Amino acid sequence: MPVADGRIVPSLLVLSLFVAAACVPFAARRVGRELGYWLAGLFVLAALALVPAGARALDRDPVTSSIDWVPSLGFSVGLRLDALSVLFSALVLVLGAVIFAYTARYLSPSSRHGRLYAQLTFFAASMLGLVVAGDAVVLLVFWELTSVASFLLIGGSGGPEASRAARRALLVTSGGGLALLAAVVLLVVVVGSADLATIVAHADRVRASPAFPAIAILLLLAVATKSALFPFHFWLPGAMVAPTPVSAYLHSATMVKAGIYLLLRTVPLFEGVHAWDVALVLVGLTTAVFGASTAIRQYDLKALLAYSTVSQLGLLAALAGVGTQKAVLATSAHVVAHALYKATLFMVVGIVEREAGSRDIRELSGLRRVMPLAAVATGLAGLSMAGIPPLAGFVSKEEAFAAFIDIPGGGWLPLVAGVMAVGASALTFAYGWRIFEGAFGGPVVQRLYEPDRSFLAPALLTSAAGLVLGLAIGVLDPLARAVTVEAVGARDYHLALWHGLTPALGMSATTIVLGAALVLARHRLEGRLGRRRPRVDGASIFEAAYARAVRAGAWIGRSAATNAPGPYLGAVLAATLGAAMLAGWWWGDDLGLGPRVGGPARDWPVALLLAPAVAVVVAARDRIAAVAALGLVGFALALLYALIGAPDLAITQVLVETLTVALVVLVFRRLPRRFSVVRPARAVVAGAIAAGVGVLAAVGTDALTGRRGPSEVARYYLRAAQPEAGGRNVVNTILVDFRALDTMGEIAVLALAGLGAIGLVTAVRSRRAP
Amino acid sequence: MSAIAVVVGVLAAGGTYLILQRGVVRIALGFVLLGHAVNVVLLASGGLQERGVPIVGASSDPADPLPQAFVLTAIVIAFGMTAFLLALAFRAGELFGLDDTEGAIPPDERVDRDLDEAEPDGNVRGGSETQVPGSEEDP
Amino acid sequence: MSRFLPLAAATPLLLAAAVAVVPAVVVRRVVAAAAIATCGGIGVAAVGSTGDGGVLATQLGGFPPPFAIAMAADTFAGLMLVVFALVTGLCLAFAGLRGHDGSPRAHAGALALLGAAAGATLTADLFNLFVWIEVLLLSSYVLITIGGTARRVRAGTIYVATNLLGSSVFLAGVALVYATAGSVNLGVLRGAAAGSGGVAIGATLVVVALAVKSALVPVHAWLPRSYPDAPTWVTALFSGTLTKVGIVALFRVVTVVFDGAAGVREAILIVAGVTMVVGVLGAVGQTSMRAILSFHMVSQVGYLVMALGIGTIAGLGAGVFFLVQYIAVKTALFLVAGAVESQEGSDDLEELGGLVHKRPALAAVFLISAFALAGVPPLSGFVAKVALVRAAFDGAAYGIGATAVAVSFLTLLSMVKIWNAAFWGSMPEEPIPGEPRAGLLVPAGVLAAVPIVLGLFAESLWVVADRAARSLADVVVYASAVAP
Repeated sequence: MPVADGRIVPSLLVLSLFVAAACVPFAARRVGRELGYWLAGLFVLAALALVPAGARALDRDPVTSSIDWVPSLGFSVGLRLDALSVLFSALVLVLGAVIFAYTARYLSPSSRHGRLYAQLTFFAASMLGLVVAGDAVVLLVFWELTSVASFLLIGGSGGPEASRAARRALLVTSGGGLALLAAVVLLVVVVGSADLATIVAHADRVRASPAFPAIAILLLLAVATKSALFPFHFWLPGAMVAPTPVSAYLHSATMVKAGIYLLLRTVPLFEGVHAWDVALVLVGLTTAVFGASTAIRQYDLKALLAYSTVSQLGLLAALAGVGTQKAVLATSAHVVAHALYKATLFMVVGIVEREAGSRDIRELSGLRRVMPLAAVATGLAGLSMAGIPPLAGFVSKEEAFAAFIDIPGGGWLPLVAGVMAVGASALTFAYGWRIFEGAFGGPVVQRLYEPDRSFLAPALLTSAAGLVLGLAIGVLDPLARAVTVEAVGARDYHLALWHGLTPALGMSATTIVLGAALVLARHRLEGRLGRRRPRVDGASIFEAAYARAVRAGAWIGRSAATNAPGPYLGAVLAATLGAAMLAGWWWGDDLGLGPRVGGPARDWPVALLLAPAVAVVVAARDRIAAVAALGLVGFALALLYALIGAPDLAITQVLVETLTVALVVLVFRRLPRRFSVVRPARAVVAGAIAAGVGVLAAVGTDALTGRRGPSEVARYYLRAAQPEAGGRNVVNTILVDFRALDTMGEIAVLALAGLGAIGLVTAVRSRRAP
Repeated sequence: MSAIAVVVGVLAAGGTYLILQRGVVRIALGFVLLGHAVNVVLLASGGLQERGVPIVGASSDPADPLPQAFVLTAIVIAFGMTAFLLALAFRAGELFGLDDTEGAIPPDERVDRDLDEAEPDGNVRGGSETQVPGSEEDP
Repeated sequence: MSRFLPLAAATPLLLAAAVAVVPAVVVRRVVAAAAIATCGGIGVAAVGSTGDGGVLATQLGGFPPPFAIAMAADTFAGLMLVVFALVTGLCLAFAGLRGHDGSPRAHAGALALLGAAAGATLTADLFNLFVWIEVLLLSSYVLITIGGTARRVRAGTIYVATNLLGSSVFLAGVALVYATAGSVNLGVLRGAAAGSGGVAIGATLVVVALAVKSALVPVHAWLPRSYPDAPTWVTALFSGTLTKVGIVALFRVVTVVFDGAAGVREAILIVAGVTMVVGVLGAVGQTSMRAILSFHMVSQVGYLVMALGIGTIAGLGAGVFFLVQYIAVKTALFLVAGAVESQEGSDDLEELGGLVHKRPALAAVFLISAFALAGVPPLSGFVAKVALVRAAFDGAAYGIGATAVAVSFLTLLSMVKIWNAAFWGSMPEEPIPGEPRAGLLVPAGVLAAVPIVLGLFAESLWVVADRAARSLADVVVYASAVAP
């Protein structure tokens, strides 16, 4: 019974959020921005529903469910709530609840905000689906949906810059999604199943496969784009044009964490693959240092936070890539710590912007005196971010240091990783100070008041949670260790505030000292750093590439822009010639035909009569001459038809030729008497193509016709015409009996031609173009 | 090489040359020649050794009747096509004063874009209610 | 059942003749609906009665095979009949709602197009296929030049001339096949290319001609040149039926006559890859909705032909799935473009903006269809894309699989280009009079539901697509039904 054993929980959770998203626009009409509280309540309920599944996940008995989707293709909606999924689901739901409660006060009371709420709920549902997916294809589905949702959330705020930023975000993350698609398909091809647990269980086979390097690179691309790693980081700062709750939720706590989730999910695939560790440590920590050193130069608090996110995601990616017990444990802890402090900071920035009308630290000052509670929240979050004990950020960062210097395989990597991690963290300390000092320090310049408690409460809650979690890190320990068990099968290491006098503690101390030094030297540094503009800017490179693609497309499109039929016909002729020659070369040796039978000599006069007539049609500038010659060609052909035993054809040919000539002459009444002059260039090109076609047609006819006896079907018609169809003229019986369908089509063609021609000829003259 | 193959080659070359020229009429003439070329190939495909008229009892070596039937169908179809092309040429003559559809108006002009969707006076379209059904081509 | 197959082609064709002379538009609409229902109904019946992998075949006039013209319906053909009938019905409904079906030529042309498409899908005779394609083209000539405006005369000239040349090549190919094989019956010609170089050369010409009709690179340019200039509903109709008939015939001729020859499949894969890339890049460079969508047709045809080149049952199944859902998606997009054009006065991206606020329903239909085209999950395009890529990787065709993935990125890019310019962005300065007509949206809305339904309940279509693929691949059953 699926209900009783909780198997229905994951699908119900995801489904209920999608249903909520669909209902939101209608609900918003009634309750307006207060809807945020309703949604927060829903998310809390959903988080509570997760508790039993969480308990089972700790016992290594994850709740799984599977519904067929496309069984023939092996797609099923497999969902799975193991410890990793529970950890991330809890983040998505709890932070979702907090953010919705915040949104209810952030938005203006005047309008309904149905679209924003709907998109945000849709996003949350997709994100939840992503982290509970037990099937690679399902994961891919939700992965792409988060990209789509964030596209709408970023660009929906209006303005050309917003829609450009949204485009960048969508194209970068969806590009990564396509890499993930390729990786998933390769994994499915290698393992034979899309079930994530099965894929992970067959890690050996994956690593042994020749496709493994491709899979690794594709996964890395997916992670790097989604988690905004260098050099794909640029979409994230651009995405800050979205409303602040959106930034707080998507671009700190959830969307970008999807990449980290994927890395944790695939840890077993890369067990013992040193190159993977090297790649992620270098990419991740480069991103961490780059992001932090960019953040420290920002004046816009939101941009600062965006680069801070880039930096922290780099650190997380490096950790998750290392994938040892310590590293996975540290990643789990840091994901939570980062989500708490980053959400706090975004929310506070939103509050400051609402109250003070700016988020530029050059315009803000002294807010600690007028907004003490906001200052407390910022301070706690900043301390956690800077890695000051006893906050959660300190614990997770120290665990991270410990993991970096313990990277297996030895060599230079632990050293480099340790140094880069400490450097990035020292910079983090410094920009944490910058946030606090920039907005809350200094003299009071604006007469402001603390905002409504309900607006502040969510930020206070998350910042306090960062403190509590640091002191009581043991609360997180069982879940984090369950994650490590799933990933690496070991659980002997613990999260703790105090591990004793370890090298990591020394690194933490160094970080704080270095950070403090940076803070002290900030004015001198600022002058120097501020002047140096970044030489490469991802967003502008992207926009340039986009413009280039459009230009290349326009160039390709020129082939379909000309009004002259010549190029289109020339392409068809060239393709035909090419294909015919290729086919002749390919199959020419093996025609499988009998000996060639030459035609009788009496055919030649027809050829001699016809050739000059064709030449006149081609060369004549006078229309009447051309038409007269065309008639001559027709009569020559009629003669040929008579010669080869087709008198019916000869008669029809004469009839049709006469009609054609009559029609041409009718049309001439509307047209000048002479054809336009042919430019020499066109004559040469057309002549060359014509010669090629002529030669090939002649050779083909010569080689392929007249090399077999009468066909079976010919003998049948000659035999059966009278008994079966009751006619002596065999050609007629074919037309009206054996192949009457062809004749019906032929009549349809004539009727349609008449219909179309009448329409054209009688079209209203006044529609003449100016 | 047989005379038939030469006939096909000449017709195909002449037709190809003409369809690459300016002006719908010359293109139409080109397609007439190309159609002839294909018809002769079709006839040749039955083998041209037997040349008796395919009428029961009329000949001891009757020709393959099937290609003849094909060609009869093809001739009529080609005539339909030619007639339509000539109607296009006629219309082009009305619109441009010559049958040359090249460059008569720059390719990006949008003046007569979907004229049947515009109101008769060419004003901005405002929904399709104002339109007279069928007005676009009934004289 | 098989006796009724010719009616799928004959009924629309004969009723086309009838509506051409009926003065009352209401009567024409009813007659058209009846014709469409007949064709679609026969398609449904054909799909239903070929569930065991069998092929329905009939020898016209009751003459013995292989001397009569044979018509045959396997699951693939039946499915195509259903799709063609649905698209024709929706496009005519759209034309009716816009008041663009006032001319008898609209109904007559559309019905003749449907009849010819059905005939071309069902026939098992190369020359008869030629005849149907000619009927198809002439009905399209009639439709594309409706109104006889300068734009359409110019576009029409290119369209007519290119396709006329394609037809000549086709007929020359048929002639060479008959010259060497002594038959034009597809049952007799099964695998004939392997045994006779002459048949292979003739069939190559046939394939080139069908490539022209399907707008494969390098013989693609006529399509994006001429389609955007036709009346909108006609463009939508062409997109869903006309070019797809070329694909259907291509699938049939290549699978039957070449019977999966490796060299042919490789050549097809190369053409498919180039077609995908050129088509999508061309789309990226265009500046009006219909021009972008027209170039996309080229690109998407590449995906279809890729399935043919992979040639496995999984590949063909993915191709059939792709084809069916894509026809719905593309038709919906063209109808959205048409609705935008009719309400805003233009579909040029420069002149549009802010539609998401002005026409939210239209925006939703566009977004769903555009994402489906780009293969965003969980829409049908995603299932199709994953199935195709998987079939490619399974068949070790890594290059084409990777190309398909990359091209879908550019597809998304071009769709976002439309979205950002027309649906976001700022509204044009001068207000445009006139109320939006919800009725215009109905056909597009119906079609927009298709990718959602076919995405979430993909299995139902996949089962049929898989069956169609097996029927395509099992040429022995087909041949022995056609020419026992």
